[in-house]
Amino acid sequence: MLKDLRLELRTRDTAVAMTLFVVIAMVILQFGFGTRETDLTRFAGGLLWVPLAFAAVLGVGRSYVAEREQRVLDGLLVAPVPRFVMLLARAVAIVGYLLAVQVVAVPLLGIFFVRGPYWGDIGWLFLACLLADIAIGILGTLVASMAVFTRARELVLPVIFLPLLVPVVIAAAGATHAVVGPNDMAQYRGYCLFLAGIAVTFGLVAYATFDAVFDD
Amino acid sequence: MTDGGSETRAPGRGIAAWAIASAVLMSVAIIGAFFVAPEQADGDIQNILYLHVPLANMSLAAFLVACVAGLLYLRRRDERYDEVVAVSVGLGLLFVVLTIISGSIWARGSWGTWWRWQDPRLVTYLIIGLIYAAFFVLRNSSEDSSRARFSAVFAVVGFASVPLSFYAVRRAQDFLHPTPIDSKGIHIDRGILLWLAVAQVAVAVVFVTLLKLELLQRRTDRALAKLRRLLEDPV
Repeated sequence: MLKDLRLELRTRDTAVAMTLFVVIAMVILQFGFGTRETDLTRFAGGLLWVPLAFAAVLGVGRSYVAEREQRVLDGLLVAPVPRFVMLLARAVAIVGYLLAVQVVAVPLLGIFFVRGPYWGDIGWLFLACLLADIAIGILGTLVASMAVFTRARELVLPVIFLPLLVPVVIAAAGATHAVVGPNDMAQYRGYCLFLAGIAVTFGLVAYATFDAVFDD
Repeated sequence: MTDGGSETRAPGRGIAAWAIASAVLMSVAIIGAFFVAPEQADGDIQNILYLHVPLANMSLAAFLVACVAGLLYLRRRDERYDEVVAVSVGLGLLFVVLTIISGSIWARGSWGTWWRWQDPRLVTYLIIGLIYAAFFVLRNSSEDSSRARFSAVFAVVGFASVPLSFYAVRRAQDFLHPTPIDSKGIHIDRGILLWLAVAQVAVAVVFVTLLKLELLQRRTDRALAKLRRLLEDPV
């Protein structure tokens, strides 16, 4: 588990590139809406989670590069460690990347787009981010473990990952909107519970199937 | 993969009976829907529900079959389960496309527009369609050695995401789609319900027929390839 985090701390390039990507995407989205309004609170969920979903694809894709290019995977597979632990380790690394990105992206959302009370509720936003990140990390690791070993992997990963990510994006964007828009905490709790449910569901599916992905 | 068993028996056994049953049941369902079933408030456009609802249900049943076959493949590594996964997902995807088309026609007739993002079920079927379309991208891009494994895993992951997609879309939107079945019971006229059930059985039989036919074709292709290899290299 520590290998990915150590490697990432040493290079930092994935997290930095993902952060830059999210900032660029948020700016492009602003112009894509074709508006010069300063208050885009009603679009806050989409403005945060569309860039984050695409950034997650980048991060998840990068997470297997060392294994594929330096042929480390064979060694990992014969190591006396349950494969589900491998999945968890990689998922933790992806959650780490995403949280690092969100440390920049979430405040930027408040500065760029939201007018009104925001900063007092930023902790709630980070909680929703964490739950969504766990679901993304587990699902992303499972999907990437197949996609990176296919032909045209750069194309295959987003095509198979993003549709599966739609419930996570809907729930995370809903939770974000509930906090920064109407400040409806009952709705926020509902979305957070749903995000937790998604994480548990994908966790169980990954537990049941991850062994088989590498079974040659 | 077994060399004996079903492949040495007459492989097409029963297909003709299933095909005849499909044709008869579909004819009965269409005649019943258009000429016997009670008329509905919205007029003729509502008759599309006798196609739309069974197709929608059957697509989910097809994905369930793929999920179960995927789990069985991961457990037993029998190539026949991989074929069931691929064929079921293909048929399920076909039914999803037909569900979206028929739903879109219904939306045009009832609400005056081909597509409404507020209709959670149609939107959910679009998401499910995209998920299972991606199945074929993964399957066709996989190496031969991993194709069956990846397909089986994706069939399981895809099916797990179906209820999540339904809930997510429903939660995020106002509910516009008619809800004939809810916690208080079934709010459908008995005559309509009867013909809906007939149409559902007809679509289910069509699914089984197509599944058996496609599996037969794949197994025949495989047997021919094996025979060709034997003829080219008898040793």
